[in-house]
Amino acid sequence: MDNREVLVDVKNLRTFFYTEDGVVPAVDGLDLTIHRGEIVGLVGESGCGKSVTALSIMRLIPNPPGKIISGEIIFHGENLLKKSEEEMRLIRGDKISMIFQEPMTSLNPVFTVGDQISEAITLHQKTDEAEARKRTVEMLHLVGIPEPERRYRQYPHELSGGMRQRVMIAMALSSNPDLLISDEATTALDVTIQAQILDLMRGLQKKLGMAILIITHNLAVVAEMAETIAIAYAGKIVENASAREIFKSPRHPYTYGLLQSIPKFAERRTNEPLPAIEGMVPSPYHMPNGCRFNPRCPFATEKCRAEEPELVELTPGHLVRCFHPIEP
Amino acid sequence: MRDYVIRRVLGMIPLILIVMIVAFAIFSLVPNPFAALIENPRIKKADIERLIKAWGFDLPWYLRFFKWFSGVIKGDWGPSLLYPGSSARDVIARALPVTIRVMGIEFLLSLLIALPIGIISAVKQYSVTDYVVTVFSFLGMSMPTFWFGLMMMMLFSVFLKRPSGAPLLPAGGIMTPGLEEAPFWTRFVDQLQYLVMPVLVLAFSSVGSWTRYMRSSMLEVVRQDYIRTARAKGVPERLVINKHALRNALIPIVTLVALSVPGIVGGASITEKIFNIPGMGSLIIAAETKSDYPTAMVGLMLTSVLVIVFNLIADIVYAWVDPRIKYS
Repeated sequence: MDNREVLVDVKNLRTFFYTEDGVVPAVDGLDLTIHRGEIVGLVGESGCGKSVTALSIMRLIPNPPGKIISGEIIFHGENLLKKSEEEMRLIRGDKISMIFQEPMTSLNPVFTVGDQISEAITLHQKTDEAEARKRTVEMLHLVGIPEPERRYRQYPHELSGGMRQRVMIAMALSSNPDLLISDEATTALDVTIQAQILDLMRGLQKKLGMAILIITHNLAVVAEMAETIAIAYAGKIVENASAREIFKSPRHPYTYGLLQSIPKFAERRTNEPLPAIEGMVPSPYHMPNGCRFNPRCPFATEKCRAEEPELVELTPGHLVRCFHPIEP
Repeated sequence: MRDYVIRRVLGMIPLILIVMIVAFAIFSLVPNPFAALIENPRIKKADIERLIKAWGFDLPWYLRFFKWFSGVIKGDWGPSLLYPGSSARDVIARALPVTIRVMGIEFLLSLLIALPIGIISAVKQYSVTDYVVTVFSFLGMSMPTFWFGLMMMMLFSVFLKRPSGAPLLPAGGIMTPGLEEAPFWTRFVDQLQYLVMPVLVLAFSSVGSWTRYMRSSMLEVVRQDYIRTARAKGVPERLVINKHALRNALIPIVTLVALSVPGIVGGASITEKIFNIPGMGSLIIAAETKSDYPTAMVGLMLTSVLVIVFNLIADIVYAWVDPRIKYS
């Protein structure tokens, strides 16, 4: 797996938000590698820094209050954090595209969906209007929108949520990006539509070969889609391995807890409560000392409360940030 | 849409009639202007009674209304009581261009200044520029026009003099007497000087409120998801603001502008008084207090019709700028 070419390498990324109540280290030393054509799942609870990571890669962190403090985001061998705003603009929507959680509000209500897609095309490719229009219709067709010529002229409010998310995908893929970031793109959709959109993304990935970073809190979504899964907790990656490994032999207590708390329909005949991870996500203003998971961890020791563990490769391709990893 | 407009236009007729009757009834509460003449020993009682009869003040208000209304249908709005010898319509027709000139220039000028300032203020929220704009907006909105007008007069007509010793700007009026027959450009330059102060005084306060409207509308839009989408597809920041954000932010503003147009005709009585401008504002107030009901009714009906018509125009424009609005 590691012989594949590295597309994105996020190293020790720190993105902080400066609010009136204090500094929020939304992402605090996050590492993540995405290979060319790979589907990576970034999983974590709300507030663990998943979306901020995505927006940092896009360099779309609203400033103020947010700021990327340090780290590197190497894309095609170049550090995105060193790029000028104009250089970054040319990458956005061309080499790296992003789709968002809320399809209902992510499209501009006063422009037709066709205009919004062809705008993305003309921004990045030397095409005339007719060419962009043709390409837009092709893209609408590719993402499975029936009657693309008619849909071209429709406004977002005339489309359902699932259709709008397909439009977003068409827009994101119109320039053949190397990386598609999907930030909870299916969360707001109902389950059947969610499955359709995931199917579509997987199919398009096979056809077009781009890498996908799937950001979600839903393990079931990445179980179906991702080859590699990174588990984030309180702004850091705590475990990173192939999807198989994560589900078969989780090594970090947090990952283990997450997997335990998935209801298993077949096994559950008793009335015992669903196992849950004790405690709450730490307040971003008061991060615990040592390992950030220690207050909730059943295996925590003095060492965990004093020192912060490093992300170490326990077995080839399986990285864990824990002093007491669970033995497989 | 066509049916909707036709329906609305037909609906205006009863509405205008009701406004007419109610307004007339209210004006009839002003005491009979001829009653006071009885105390003047030089006027014969018979003459007074003849006047009262001629003006219909011997009748109850609803009969006086029918008497007046039978003329209105034929296009005769009755004689002016305030300006004997002129018809009410002519009295209004003399004041109307004066008011439209001052108020129209003021209206366009303040929009031209306020809208760009409001946009900049929103885009650079909480910057020094924004604070300066905010302070001046509130200053403009809260400054009494009579005081500001007098201060302007002190500055431009008392302190600042031309080399010839004449004031820099004329303190009041609308044109220099004796120039009625002068060539066009001489008259133009002359009348322009009379416009400067009243236009500035009025514009200062309306620039303030328009800036605030534009700023808050823009602020509302720039935090929408579709603005992030536009940035994510690589739209240059200039176009994110001037195309994606502005098109949406202008929707409520366009409606407000359309609804404010009838105000141009209403005049600004206080400023007109200060600068001695024979416009609609002071005329209508004089007509109302002196029981010149024909003149007051012409002015009032003119404003009412404009308000009703521009409400319809606002609705039509609203549907035109916002594709989500449909009338059926």
